[in-house]
Amino acid sequence: MTRQRVCRLNEVTGKLLPVDTGRGTILLTRLPSGAVKAVASRCPHQGADLAYGCLTGLSQGERSNCLASDRPGEILRCPWHGFEFDLVTGVSVVDRGRPRLRLKQFRVEIEGDDVFVIL
Amino acid sequence: MLLLDADVHESFSGVRDLVPYLQEPYREWISRGAWRGFSQPFCYTSPGSGNRADVRSGDGSASVSDYGLMQRQLLDAYDETYAVLTGYFYPTMLKLQYGLATALAAAYNDYVVEHWLAKDKRFIGSIQINARDPEAAAREIDRMAAHPQIKQVMLPVVDDIAYGHPMYRPIFEAAARHRLAVALHHTILAEGPFGMGLHYIERHTLLPTSMMAEVISLILNGVFDSYSELRFIILEGGFSWLPHLMWRMDREYRQGRVEVPWVKKLPSEHMRERLRFSTQPTEDLSPDQWLKLIDLMGSDEYLIFSTDYPHFDFDDPEASIPRALPADLREKIFWKNGAKFYDLAAPAQ
Repeated sequence: MTRQRVCRLNEVTGKLLPVDTGRGTILLTRLPSGAVKAVASRCPHQGADLAYGCLTGLSQGERSNCLASDRPGEILRCPWHGFEFDLVTGVSVVDRGRPRLRLKQFRVEIEGDDVFVIL
Repeated sequence: MLLLDADVHESFSGVRDLVPYLQEPYREWISRGAWRGFSQPFCYTSPGSGNRADVRSGDGSASVSDYGLMQRQLLDAYDETYAVLTGYFYPTMLKLQYGLATALAAAYNDYVVEHWLAKDKRFIGSIQINARDPEAAAREIDRMAAHPQIKQVMLPVVDDIAYGHPMYRPIFEAAARHRLAVALHHTILAEGPFGMGLHYIERHTLLPTSMMAEVISLILNGVFDSYSELRFIILEGGFSWLPHLMWRMDREYRQGRVEVPWVKKLPSEHMRERLRFSTQPTEDLSPDQWLKLIDLMGSDEYLIFSTDYPHFDFDDPEASIPRALPADLREKIFWKNGAKFYDLAAPAQ
């Protein structure tokens, strides 16, 4: 494992920030909770570049034709097939409780204004 | 071996048989010959004109209103433990006159209770409804559900109803309220994506596609999620398409769940837990193909044997399911899966 500085803290916002680590691209984003998340930029399904995906909320509903959304900014959808990944856990939303597909996640450490990831 | 036959088509000799059971004003209408029958848009091409040609009632008609004949040719001939009566007089095929359709369904149910269910404890009954009036259908389910031999509600597959639409919820609520199964069966109106084609053989080959459409509608519109105890069976709609639909729907769900978040499970999970299929017509698979297919389905609990008596594409219990299949699998298909689905025990000796 190596610890690598990837960017300054104020560069990480509620959008997707691709960073080339030299060993592949990772995506950084700041969740509404303030936590900084780092995930691999390749979708575990068919390898799409998740940098083109969208940060969105979790579509919810108990009755047909009644849609709602919550947890804004915590769900990453793949730009190709639209698979949903929960950025808090890294797990595919559909597979919650029985993970089959999950994002590769990296531990993030913040020191002052600098963001480090453990690769 | 114990044997449950999940699809047996009892009938009447003519709609006038229903007159004693009809409420006014429909009793008068039918009595004076107002009924000209459903408009069947095709002719049968089989030697028996839709039925096995060796099935003839005492009056020479092809309609199976003769319990004695069914007893000899089916129940006793194959030593059936239970036979689920599913009818083929489906008032939902009436596209207008909902009051008449509801009254016909009620009359037919009462006719079946007296002329069929009362005659043989081996019969399991189904409630016929007019699905176009879901509230009235629910009342009919409430009226009939207490009969000890009745175990399910028939949902006729026609050409303009996908049962996932929220307007049909009262039917499912009533079925769930009484712990009844829900059975989907084709009708003379069922068709494929581009209609019935130009030949009967096209129409008959297309029937499974209408069932696929119903399963898609029921699951994606939340019926399986809303009624978590409700069990469904596809009758005479094929079953070898199940692996495709499971895979396709799971994939679609992974990429399109955002539109249907009321669906809380993978569609294949819903299917595995609560969807079953009658076997007829069996498509003449080899034993090896049977085993491969069941492996692809992911469960040996989907299939429930059926003959479709007295229809022309009848499956013989002694010939349609290969004897080379493992004994425990045959026992599941012929008995265990159906007994579990309908919550039936083997009769006391």
